[in-house]
Amino acid sequence: MKYVTHFRAAITAAVGFAVILVLWQVIGSAKLLGPTFPPLSSVIASLTVPYRRHLYIRAGLATLSTAAWGYGIGQAGGLAAALFGHLLPFSRAGLDRLASVIHAIPMIALGPLFMAVLSPVWAGTAIAAIGVFFVSYIAGCTAIESAAPTHRDLFQIFGASPLRRLWLLDVPSALPALVTGLRQAVPVAFLGTILGEWFGSAHGLGLLILSAMENFQIALLWSTVILCCGLSLIIFVLLGYVERIVGRHYR
Amino acid sequence: MKRFLARWWGPCLLLLVWQVGVQASGVNQIVMPHPMAVLMDMASNPLVYGRAAAGTLLVAVPGLTAGLAMGGMLALLCQFSAVMEYLLTPLAMMLSSIPVVAIIPVLSRLFGYHMTTLIIIVAIICFLPAFVYMHAGLRSVPAGSLDVFSVFGAGARARLLLLRLPASVPSCMTALRIAAPTAILASLTAEYLMQTGGLGALFRITTAEFRSERAFGCSLVAMVLSVCCFFLALHAERAVTRRWR
Repeated sequence: MKYVTHFRAAITAAVGFAVILVLWQVIGSAKLLGPTFPPLSSVIASLTVPYRRHLYIRAGLATLSTAAWGYGIGQAGGLAAALFGHLLPFSRAGLDRLASVIHAIPMIALGPLFMAVLSPVWAGTAIAAIGVFFVSYIAGCTAIESAAPTHRDLFQIFGASPLRRLWLLDVPSALPALVTGLRQAVPVAFLGTILGEWFGSAHGLGLLILSAMENFQIALLWSTVILCCGLSLIIFVLLGYVERIVGRHYR
Repeated sequence: MKRFLARWWGPCLLLLVWQVGVQASGVNQIVMPHPMAVLMDMASNPLVYGRAAAGTLLVAVPGLTAGLAMGGMLALLCQFSAVMEYLLTPLAMMLSSIPVVAIIPVLSRLFGYHMTTLIIIVAIICFLPAFVYMHAGLRSVPAGSLDVFSVFGAGARARLLLLRLPASVPSCMTALRIAAPTAILASLTAEYLMQTGGLGALFRITTAEFRSERAFGCSLVAMVLSVCCFFLALHAERAVTRRWR
């Protein structure tokens, strides 16, 4: 029964997706939205044209590496902060407030700060890291408290040491929420990277998007944005699978 | 005071680090202005900052309102029409997994460099959380209440007006909280890219002209604006949720 519902949901999503793609092609080729809305086929053509392959690969790798650094630093910082707040409860209210202030600060306003303090390459990483930090902090706080109180009592009764409890109970029960945080931070890392690249990076997909926009290269603009979104989407979906596997094992 | 420190030690620490860091490192004023220089510039040109901030708010607030209204309406449509649900659910799923702000250049080319384009961009970006949360909110009716409604022979309209809409109010407020800082971020980014006025454009111009104390001032005003919007929305959410439960 459960599989039937899953199957139906997947079919529904696929049909909806296909309809959107067909609509895109029809509107684009009829030029209903003007020359700046290209049909799907010309975007695909621009993506697959051989002489641009090198350009896409180089820009994509630059963006990926910036995003990966920001992602790693942000995750480490967010989880460390969550652990800190868990171990020292008096700092928790202040940490929560700090995290929400950081979250409310528009990422783009941080640009000049990081451009001044760091090099242009690292500005994107820093902006991405700040964005990821918030997601990871929230996920970490949820994760650390997700062990059932009754299980904790059981460990207490049998005289388990805190370290043993951490390893056998707290860490395994924290895993599902942690992986959710890992997944949700992916688009944030890409967003921060792109914003950083708009500020004056010498390479990356963000720069390609900006120059295509300013030079009216509509097909290149669309294909680069799609490439960027596609990368984020693929990593997001892969982590979704990891999340499902972890959830099945540890819940 | 103690309560204030317990909640706000983080931002205070950041300001302190900035002040001490600039003084200790002794970098050039153009690279990294002194906090005092930034504050002086803000105090002596309140009109410049005020006009830019008003421009940004004039984009963010209508955009946010339109986005929330659009998200709410589409979530309602999904309640009535299975076709809409088929079309919108994968779209919403996809939008939540991509960096949405990266599509601003596409939208700005699509709609042209106008004030209305800015509002459309903000609305599209705020639409997503609105849709997702309201869609969930309309379904989050108390357990068994649907049975009660069908036992008493309530029609679809009564079910919507008396059960689903009231049940979705807390989620609407959550959507507002999530979307408010996003609206500011989106309008700043769009203004920055399109240079059509507001804080984002001022910020880009002053950065290009190396007037860094004004660029930092813009950035500071933007942060304060965004944080204020976030906390306003947070308090509104708490007030409504408290009364609703």
